[in-house]
Amino acid sequence: MSPGEEGGEVLLDARDLRVDIPTPGGTLHAVRGVTLAARRGETLCVVGESGCGKSLTSLALMGLLPAGARRTAARLTLAGEDLLTAPPRRLRALRGDRVAMIFQDPMTCLNPSLTIGDQLAETYVRHGHGSRHAARDRAVALLERVGIAGAANRLGQYPHQLSGGLRQRVVIAMALMCGPDLVLADEPTTALDATIQLGILQLLAELQREMRMALVLVTHDLGVVARIATRVAVMYAGEVVEEGPSAAVFGAPRHPYTRGLMDCIPRAARMAPGARLGTIPGLVPSLVGSISGCAFRTRCPHAMPVCAEPVAMHGDEAGHAWRCVLDAGALERAA
Amino acid sequence: MTPPILEIRGVHKRYGVGGGLLARRRTLTAVAGVSLRVARGEVLGLVGESGCGKSTLARMILGLEAPSEGEVLLDGRPIASLGRLERARLVQPVFQDPYSSLNPRRSVAAIVGLPLAVHGIGTAAERRDATAEMLALVGLAPRHAEAFPSQLSGGQRQRVAIARALVLRPSLVVCDEPTSALDVSVQSQILNLLVDLRDRLGLAYLFISHNLAVVQMLADRVTAMYLGRVVEEGAADRVLGAPRHPYTAALLASVLTPDPALGLPEMRLGTAFPNPLAVPPGCAFHPRCPAVFDRCPREAPALLPVPGGGRAACHLVEGPAGAARAA
Repeated sequence: MSPGEEGGEVLLDARDLRVDIPTPGGTLHAVRGVTLAARRGETLCVVGESGCGKSLTSLALMGLLPAGARRTAARLTLAGEDLLTAPPRRLRALRGDRVAMIFQDPMTCLNPSLTIGDQLAETYVRHGHGSRHAARDRAVALLERVGIAGAANRLGQYPHQLSGGLRQRVVIAMALMCGPDLVLADEPTTALDATIQLGILQLLAELQREMRMALVLVTHDLGVVARIATRVAVMYAGEVVEEGPSAAVFGAPRHPYTRGLMDCIPRAARMAPGARLGTIPGLVPSLVGSISGCAFRTRCPHAMPVCAEPVAMHGDEAGHAWRCVLDAGALERAA
Repeated sequence: MTPPILEIRGVHKRYGVGGGLLARRRTLTAVAGVSLRVARGEVLGLVGESGCGKSTLARMILGLEAPSEGEVLLDGRPIASLGRLERARLVQPVFQDPYSSLNPRRSVAAIVGLPLAVHGIGTAAERRDATAEMLALVGLAPRHAEAFPSQLSGGQRQRVAIARALVLRPSLVVCDEPTSALDVSVQSQILNLLVDLRDRLGLAYLFISHNLAVVQMLADRVTAMYLGRVVEEGAADRVLGAPRHPYTAALLASVLTPDPALGLPEMRLGTAFPNPLAVPPGCAFHPRCPAVFDRCPREAPALLPVPGGGRAACHLVEGPAGAARAA
């Protein structure tokens, strides 16, 4: 977040990314024109509620969509290399090597029948970084780095012998084996207890700085995002509705959805008797079939007739952008 | 004086685990000597992380499991002496996951009215009216009565679960992580509803959560548990405003509010994760405690009064000198 890290090279550049899923009732437009850029030395957080398309966006970036889902994009590059036209063999070579993923549940991404050591070594050897012996040395070093005591003895253990917090540390060590440029973490701490979550977030933030990676963190938790993000992208109904530097998005949110979400969060200070949390009435619209205009307008306290028209991204010079026609003054007067 | 709606005295719960062909059977002590009380109309927040025994405690209060040792009293009477109907009219649960706690093959009206039907309360018409009234109370529209759970959103399902819990007009509702499975915009609606219902019906809640910010919104008093033991208890303002136990302080620090200026708090808890099958000797929190000293692994601290009210189980707060050090 220091000024020296600004303007690092763009490692991941996705423009107008779309994911369509055919369903019996019509096409589900799960991701509707998402544009994201992740720079070296930055943590980009993609935040939103269930069904906003954040997880499908991260899978689409990696080319890991489930069968049947269709991905299109105007541009999708990793360190300048075009991922849209790369053959499957090249994508397999990149995944796990230049780009690593960390998922929510460490138990489902570790193989229960292989030792920790074998699983850590596999990626390293597979991508041609060295011998099994070299892989073992690196595995021990990385396990120690992620805070696992007695790392050399852990190599012979199986995932079920570790607690949830330790397993997630093993998964992080595995993601780092090949020294990736980009780490994509999808809800990496959601399954963990709060005090253990904090330890993992601290570790991710340290590693991101130390190794000068780009970290893309997908989460539903605005609290996590505010504490770790360099830049934030807020998603709603398959679109990015607000994007910008963390301080700007949280300090002066410009989209009514972002504002609504912030008001829903219980704060640490005790609420006055009789006080209530903010709410967002209504439901997320169906993304099946054609959608026009602002998808949030049915739940928005500021909705106007013009909101039924397509809404472009508006922005300022500081790189803060929002998909809403309201000016800041109108938003303040209404608050 | 009326007895508290819930009183727990020195409750232990032990399970035997493992024990295969060669493995020795081990004892898991999920709850180790917990005492607490909830007055009528009071909200007690029970906080702690996985394996602290909070859900086991909830199951014993609901009569779903019997304690290995100690007593659970509902309205001053031992829970074992109460019949099912008596117990059901005193205490009802709301669970975490409204997807698995509702029968997918029954309509909303049937789900909410089932406790009345099971207990043979009123005529069919009276039960229908009581159900409709309850649905309105939790903010569901009359048209939802004929819907099935699969047609409802997560928030609507949790409203159904709350309506079912309240239809017998219990005095105490045990809410076990009632909003943890919900999105933040839905969580706020359910929390607001729980506050409204408490005010309107004079309910007492045992509100179980790992999220202190959520507990803060509702609780009059807070009890913090770690590995089956109470580590701190007291008025919510005191416990959450000036926690005396390092574990409560760590839980409080781990609540991440959306404030980018604060960054990630430094906690120094290490990576010694709690395991209920291998509870450390002395103070169970000592392997993770940033303020550990030589006495902690040797001697278990007693739950003693602390300045500002309430009690904490920590060697640092024992005696007047200790209280100053921990502050």
